[in-house]
Amino acid sequence: MTGPETVRRKDVRATRTGRTALRVLTVAGVPALLVISWQLYSTVSENFYVPAPGRVARAFAETWFSERLLDDVLPSLARLLAGYALAAAAGVGLGVAIGLSPRLRAAAEPVLEFFRAIPPPVLVPLIMLLAGIGDGTKVLVIASGCVWPILLNTVEGVRALDEVLSDTCRMYGVRDLSRLRHLVLPGAGPQIMAGLRQALSIGIILMVISEMFASSSGLGFTIVLFQRGFQIPEMWSGILLLGLLGYVLALLLRRLERRVLSWHHGRGVGRA
Amino acid sequence: MLEVSGLRKVYEGRRVEALREVTFQVDAGELVCVIGPSGCGKTTLLRCVAGLMPPTAGSVKVAGAAVTGPPPRMAVVFQEYGRSLFPWMTVRQNVELPLKEKKVPAVRRNELVAGSLAAVGLADVADAHPWQLSGGMQQRVAIARAVAYEPQVLLMDEPFAAVDAQTRADLEDLILVLWRDMGVTTLFVTHDIDEAVYLGQRVIVLSGSPTVVMEDLKIDLPPERDQLTTRSLSRFADLRGHLYAQIQRARGDR
Repeated sequence: MTGPETVRRKDVRATRTGRTALRVLTVAGVPALLVISWQLYSTVSENFYVPAPGRVARAFAETWFSERLLDDVLPSLARLLAGYALAAAAGVGLGVAIGLSPRLRAAAEPVLEFFRAIPPPVLVPLIMLLAGIGDGTKVLVIASGCVWPILLNTVEGVRALDEVLSDTCRMYGVRDLSRLRHLVLPGAGPQIMAGLRQALSIGIILMVISEMFASSSGLGFTIVLFQRGFQIPEMWSGILLLGLLGYVLALLLRRLERRVLSWHHGRGVGRA
Repeated sequence: MLEVSGLRKVYEGRRVEALREVTFQVDAGELVCVIGPSGCGKTTLLRCVAGLMPPTAGSVKVAGAAVTGPPPRMAVVFQEYGRSLFPWMTVRQNVELPLKEKKVPAVRRNELVAGSLAAVGLADVADAHPWQLSGGMQQRVAIARAVAYEPQVLLMDEPFAAVDAQTRADLEDLILVLWRDMGVTTLFVTHDIDEAVYLGQRVIVLSGSPTVVMEDLKIDLPPERDQLTTRSLSRFADLRGHLYAQIQRARGDR
């Protein structure tokens, strides 16, 4: 009697292993293919500017697992987070105010659209003139780019609050701060999160760009420095690090969103 | 308890006269149903009574006080149960929020929440989120929230229009039980003639647009209502037939 049972269990285990292998292959397949073609290209071409992945990996370990982590990576991250937090506070704060007041919205909307249309990197020279070349400038540049998607998404989210829910609040005396906390912010939450997601990638771009101008530390500064010093594998490793950084930050943000908006995702699944 | 006099509502932008002249009153502890042909301004009437919308002319008074905004001791159950509950809160939090705003002490609050959830038969899903429940259960949550609020006046805007027939009968009986236990003055708007006759002590018939009160009909059925026996009374059929004819007339007038 145990024979068929064991066999079946073995089968189950086999298919499970198979499935895991398939998943690993799907996830790792494309990156592996990219690295392999990179390797092939660098062997064939002998192009000085395209070093082999192995050399870049070595440069990565040597460059970033050193005092550069403290001198360049951390300052970059700190500026990014400061600018991002500033933009989030200003964007959500202003967005709620504008979203709740039709008059304010009518007055502000064209101006907002105009400001949003200005590519944030062109503000770097201007802000540098106004605020000097210190950390403050870089934080301001990052914040000035990040604020628009957060602000505009918050306005949209607040404007689209459910009328029935709004009436319910009025009937049951839920007003002012309580209304903000229980209706406006959670109701606009999915849109605010969408804004925060867009802002994060803009923030990383601006972090790098702001460090390429008149700077003495940071990832952007270091990458330009390597390029000028013909330290090509090091330069590549910096680009790699930026990619990884953006990936990890986006992952963290998604984690946060899953927590804060669990009701939203749950409802989506429930409907499907 | 509730006095509506000369209520008129014209929507400015569209110049649509939703209500021309609506006058009626509801005594303390009464359950009155309002019916009318579709598009006759039932929801407009309810929103004016609730203080969610200012009337163009006329007045609404609750316990003698003129309504200018949502009155403090009035509760509403909306038709759109899926949109009147906070999806980011649990069932318990949904029922509790209005009590917190009313500054009901925590002990009493817990009593009221537990009591009202038990009364609608949802004690065991208090920690679920509304979207995890069926439509009928969601509407029970909205009813529990209204009950826990201990209102003087309860307004219901076609609360069962979007649930299936079986659930609907259950919810009608639930309303009758709660109403009897609480003695709360209730205005129940519906488009369903049977429902109006089954629930109401009186039925107010609205005309087609421009809307006036066409009839104020006393429902002289025995006070104990039962889905089977009440609905099979010949008097029930008479009242139903009479109201049906009235609604047809109201539609024809347009």
